[in-house]
Amino acid sequence: MSTTPRLEEADPVPVPAEGPVRRRPRAPGRLRHVLLPLASLVLFLVLWQVSAASGTWSETLVPPPARVWDAFVDVSTTHDGVRGYNGTYLVEHLGISLRRIAFGAGTGIAAGVVFGLLMGTVRPLRSLFEPWITFLRTLPPLAYFSLLVIWLGINEEPKITLLAVAAFPPVAVSTTTAVAAVPRSLVEAARALGGSRWDVVKDIVVPSALPETFTGVRLAVGVAYSSLVAAELVNGLPGIGGMVKDAANYNNTPVVFVGIIAIGVSGLVIDGLLLRLERAVVPWRGRA
Amino acid sequence: MSSSETAEGAVTGGEVTDGVVAGGERAGAVRLGHVTHRYGAVTAVGPVDLTVPPGEFLVLVGASGCGKSTLLRLIAGFEQPTHGSVRVSGSVPRPGETAGVVFQTPRLFPWRTVGGNIDLALRYAGVDRARRGEHRARLLARVGLEGTEKRRTWEISGGQQQRVAIARALAAEHPLLLLDEPFAALDALTRERLQEDVRRVAGQTGRTTVFVTHSADEAVFLGSRIVVLTKSPGTVALDLPIPLPRGDVDAEELRESREFGELRARVAHAVKSAAAA
Repeated sequence: MSTTPRLEEADPVPVPAEGPVRRRPRAPGRLRHVLLPLASLVLFLVLWQVSAASGTWSETLVPPPARVWDAFVDVSTTHDGVRGYNGTYLVEHLGISLRRIAFGAGTGIAAGVVFGLLMGTVRPLRSLFEPWITFLRTLPPLAYFSLLVIWLGINEEPKITLLAVAAFPPVAVSTTTAVAAVPRSLVEAARALGGSRWDVVKDIVVPSALPETFTGVRLAVGVAYSSLVAAELVNGLPGIGGMVKDAANYNNTPVVFVGIIAIGVSGLVIDGLLLRLERAVVPWRGRA
Repeated sequence: MSSSETAEGAVTGGEVTDGVVAGGERAGAVRLGHVTHRYGAVTAVGPVDLTVPPGEFLVLVGASGCGKSTLLRLIAGFEQPTHGSVRVSGSVPRPGETAGVVFQTPRLFPWRTVGGNIDLALRYAGVDRARRGEHRARLLARVGLEGTEKRRTWEISGGQQQRVAIARALAAEHPLLLLDEPFAALDALTRERLQEDVRRVAGQTGRTTVFVTHSADEAVFLGSRIVVLTKSPGTVALDLPIPLPRGDVDAEELRESREFGELRARVAHAVKSAAAA
């Protein structure tokens, strides 16, 4: 960097007094982020094994970890001429469901961003739509799934629609709030620089709302995930939720466990990826 | 920092020709005609009559709450006066069209880098994309921030942030620059450096400048004229030309000179008695 004498006045990195403490000593950080979750996982497996072995419940209700592992291997391979579960491998079930989530939640998120921007900038629109969105948000997806099946049949349409409807409200609400709360000082600064109304929306309102919108997106993906089994209740095979539902019909608890774990783990991975994406796209989060 | 930089006396604005705008008013001139402004039932400022000729460095001084910031917002066009008229270069001021503004806090856009903040201002000012790089470099050099284009706004110090804000406000090359207590939040050393820079930049660019502060010291150092306002609602208590040398002067020497000390004492006294009245 070409330094001029003037630059020397600067303290290199000002730490905002009200900002969160970002840097922690290394070793305790690693302990907290890796060792603790690992320890809790081991403890969980031990407790699971102990309670399964205690014989309090039958193996059908609480299968031991080893049987769940066997089920995992079964649904991931071809054995005795049977390919995975119901002719589809576990990863394929998961892949099909993830595609449904990508389409469904993707549509819901896109609609949520558009509605959020409109509702945050135009007050009457907010008054008009907000009660409906709140109403929608409080409904459990199962409540309207039957309707969707009646209207849209039993194929992909009701599933995708359900996931879209479930993902829409969190994004719409968080974007609306963030847009409405755009710092007036920054809007004024942009106007003082000669920005038009449209410039202000595009260059100030949208980027200032982006961190909150991202929080909404993460929430939306979470909601879509938790609606997955509901979305695949009817004609859900192949699909991870459909697999869980089908296995439950046959009291095949180990496969239900495998499905639940697969949904949970992939959910964790996706949230981690979204978190990374967020750091890359909105590095200014918490810095304004 | 090249002090030999050519002054930008000639303003290239829409309706401006040879520094004279329609109605015979010079570019950058500010005229307040019996201006009063109320927020609800509270009169914040006025009545104030004030004329600022082009090229003058006017400092508005007063205790907090005397309405000096309100006056600046009226000149910037953010608000319309309840009574009276405000004219800049002969017409009603509109935000972004008549003046560059520097606020108390830098108000940088954190989603843009230092260079990105300047670029946005240049884009709003109608500078072609192809010519922005050269303008950006010149503006950053003018405030002593060469080579900081790629820095994030939160990575630089408070003083540097305010420098970026000044560069950003200069981007549109309006003939008028408005500054609202821009150095109040900075430490004493940084403040003095920035004062020297603003004094120099104003001199080099020949802009009309209106600067709001509560510090008599800052006012005397910067201004070619000082107006002290009474306490709320603010009216003009003292209108004082500052006959200190301008242009290329030794800031240290100036601050330690006898005239400087006398003027400062006089302004400080006026501010105190205006606030008590």
